[in-house]
Amino acid sequence: MKNRFNFAIIAAIAIVFTACQKDDVAPVAVPAYSSTQTLTVNFSATKPFAFFGFKDSALVANSDSTTAKWDFGLRLTTFLVNSNASGPGKAGVIMQDGIFASLNTAPSSGYAYDTTSTKLAIKDGSWYDYNALSHAFIPKAGKVFFFRTADGAHYAKMQLLSVNYAPFAGPAPSQLLYKFQYAYQPSGSNSF
Amino acid sequence: MKKTHYFFTIALVLLQLQGFAQTRVFKDTLDGSSETVVVTANRSERKMGNVAVPVILISKKTISQTGSLRIQDILQEQTGIVIVNSALGTSLNGYPNPFGQGVQMLGLDPAYTAILLDGEPLIGRNAGILKLGRLATGNIKQVEIVKGPSSSLYGSEAMAGVINILTDQPSKENIGFQLHRASNNTWGTTLSYANRIHKTGIQFFLNRLSTDGYDLDPNIYGKTVDPYRDWNGQLKITQELSSKLQLLISLRNYDAKQDNNYQIFYQNLPAIASGYTTETDRSAFAQFKWLLSPNSKLYFRGFYDRYTNQSFVNLDKTGLRFDETSFDQSVFKPEIQYEKNRPGKSQYVAGFGSNIEMIDASRYAGKQNLATLYAFTQKEWYLLSQKLTLIAGARVDKRTDFDLHLSPRLALAYKPNGHWKFTASAGWGFKAPDFRHMYLNFYNAQIGYSLLGTATLGQELTKLQQQGLLQTGADISAYANATGLKPETSFGMHVGAKYTSGRLVAEWGLFRNNISNLIDVYALPFTRSNGLPIYSYRNVGQVFTQGAEMDLSYQLSKHVKLSGGYQFLLAKDKQVLENIDNGMLYKRDPISLQSSLVSRQDYVGLANRSKHSLNAKILYETATGFDAYFRAVYRGAFGFMDKNGNNIIDNDAEMTPGYWMLNLAASKTIGSKIRVQIGAENLLDYTNPVQLSNIPGRTYFINLNLNIIQPTKHKLP
Repeated sequence: MKNRFNFAIIAAIAIVFTACQKDDVAPVAVPAYSSTQTLTVNFSATKPFAFFGFKDSALVANSDSTTAKWDFGLRLTTFLVNSNASGPGKAGVIMQDGIFASLNTAPSSGYAYDTTSTKLAIKDGSWYDYNALSHAFIPKAGKVFFFRTADGAHYAKMQLLSVNYAPFAGPAPSQLLYKFQYAYQPSGSNSF
Repeated sequence: MKKTHYFFTIALVLLQLQGFAQTRVFKDTLDGSSETVVVTANRSERKMGNVAVPVILISKKTISQTGSLRIQDILQEQTGIVIVNSALGTSLNGYPNPFGQGVQMLGLDPAYTAILLDGEPLIGRNAGILKLGRLATGNIKQVEIVKGPSSSLYGSEAMAGVINILTDQPSKENIGFQLHRASNNTWGTTLSYANRIHKTGIQFFLNRLSTDGYDLDPNIYGKTVDPYRDWNGQLKITQELSSKLQLLISLRNYDAKQDNNYQIFYQNLPAIASGYTTETDRSAFAQFKWLLSPNSKLYFRGFYDRYTNQSFVNLDKTGLRFDETSFDQSVFKPEIQYEKNRPGKSQYVAGFGSNIEMIDASRYAGKQNLATLYAFTQKEWYLLSQKLTLIAGARVDKRTDFDLHLSPRLALAYKPNGHWKFTASAGWGFKAPDFRHMYLNFYNAQIGYSLLGTATLGQELTKLQQQGLLQTGADISAYANATGLKPETSFGMHVGAKYTSGRLVAEWGLFRNNISNLIDVYALPFTRSNGLPIYSYRNVGQVFTQGAEMDLSYQLSKHVKLSGGYQFLLAKDKQVLENIDNGMLYKRDPISLQSSLVSRQDYVGLANRSKHSLNAKILYETATGFDAYFRAVYRGAFGFMDKNGNNIIDNDAEMTPGYWMLNLAASKTIGSKIRVQIGAENLLDYTNPVQLSNIPGRTYFINLNLNIIQPTKHKLP
């Protein structure tokens, strides 16, 4: 409940921001919008992806999976970016090694796209270590994801903070909680 | 009266020999008066003082003074020997590590130490670990531990060293009986008999051990260690066929049964499953020793060993089979060895043989065979009026699936005077990829991932793809013709010095081991259709281990002897160091969850290694048959598991804190035949249910020994 409430506030703020920028002509860097969110992500291949949109800073309803409202999607450890095989958007991603706080410029080119459903922009296993013993998916430290958003006109940087199993009863967990931090530059500039 | 960990001690030997006679004479290591002989270091008999590589010798007397029935308890009291849990399975909170515990030597995992019983290999390793609990201590004559790469004589697995457990030989008539009673309703009974009649010698040993196990976490259903009972039997027969030909036959049988009883989830509901694990280990050994001349001999040996492990659990409610596994491994090893001794000048040993192994296990792809042909040679020269010993040796191994492998070793010992001995040795070791690396075909049904051996990888991937169990569009072409794994290799060096003077014996050693081609698990770039990973093995790692060790012993008074040892150890992954230097390795702060660069100072090293480990012992012994033996063993903090996203151990939260084990035993001889011993182990009651579930809390024991010895009527050969 609490999370949803936060989502709503953040979404509201984000809407205010985007509304302000509609008339911006040249992308002049404004203070980036920063937030930390937690996504609940399904395991099962028969369950839907969790989609997230930086612009609205919110979980995007599954019914909007064929729109450009979301930037990335997650199921178990599969990352989708909203492009080509995965969606109608123009979202791309670059994974870079470094410190989130000090990487303040998104690359202007070189973004990877979900070319086909088996050749995704973010390769499974490239961003975490799976511990076969504790069954923990530990996101690698020092990995920063730069996104060009689904509208093809904005930039965001994101880092995963933790991936934990959602509390469960029964033999095995069925959901993961992804906690991540991001900064979205509403101006269209690639500086944060 | 004396203990352990002396690399090239003769003083030790003298103490052992003369301790009973209460004549405490300290002689230097050169006079050759010692009769204690070790066989492992050179694969042929040598006086302990003449050995040029680091050797620890544990005598029967020491074993009996500790009162322990577990060989791992005795091993871990030696400097530089750490009993570690398998890195696999350490996270199964509250359950015993399914892979067990093994010996870490020179900072290398248990898989890299060859474990021999009477010179022949023990088989049935699970994920590289041999369950040491399989061995009884009651019939051990002595344990010899050779540190450092010994592949030049023993081939694969002897990368960190060799532990050779030598059992009693037929001797003068002797009937022994022991009753052991310990905490957790543990009962042990031992019966032994030895005799020599004319030209025939016989040695019989039978041991039964049972326990109720223990429970470290009552909140988790089932016990930490379930009840079990073991039978151990051995029969040795020697026969002098002629003055030049001797026959030795040794038969061994181990039979164990342990309860399985735990909670599982069945159809999403908790359920109790129970059953048994049965283990057998049966071996037969025959050897002809042919004395070609007073100074040369030839051995013909044949060894067969079969180890099986069968385990099942049924659902208590329905009686239906829930899970079962089976494992069946056997080895046949014929060998010929030649020895030539030129007294005072040189000794030569050479041999050849083969190792034919078979495995059939439920987690492996069908029945598999491996054959290895090998030959070894070693020469030892005595120079400069025998002050200098030089050793050069090498072994070649050719296994069916990889190229000829050469393992040389060089060693020297220099004894300038009666007080000092200096040694240096360098050797190459290797470990061939084992069955699991090649043939494992394991699917974890509960979690959903797969682990496939390299030899089965291509075939299994094709099968999975045909069955639609692979991620759609996965490109498996690169794995169709799986390239074999290369053997893991090591190069090790050791330099040591030993000083003996009067009541003091001191030893120092420095060691370094470089290991290449380490086999490690990796995830394939595609997944199963359920999205979970597929793992296989590849040669990747380059690590080193290096350290220093020191041993001291001091005869404080007629009755009291103090001894102690310390090991400093660093074990690191070279790739990790390179990544740190290149600013490519990050860590995540556990609180802020923000990343920052890892420094060299942060990097602790490989998991499971303690930087500091030490032991201290006090032995009190009187001429009237009373002894008390106190041992304190400290294992320093060691890395447990990565938690901060860089796959290395680099902060305290990833470490298990250090701990002490304090053990005490005291015994009194009553009359000529009876000995009573009481003792307590883990006096501080240290437990760590999650990370060290193999350590029960404080336990007490009492041993009653009855020994009937009669003077021998027949001359020993």
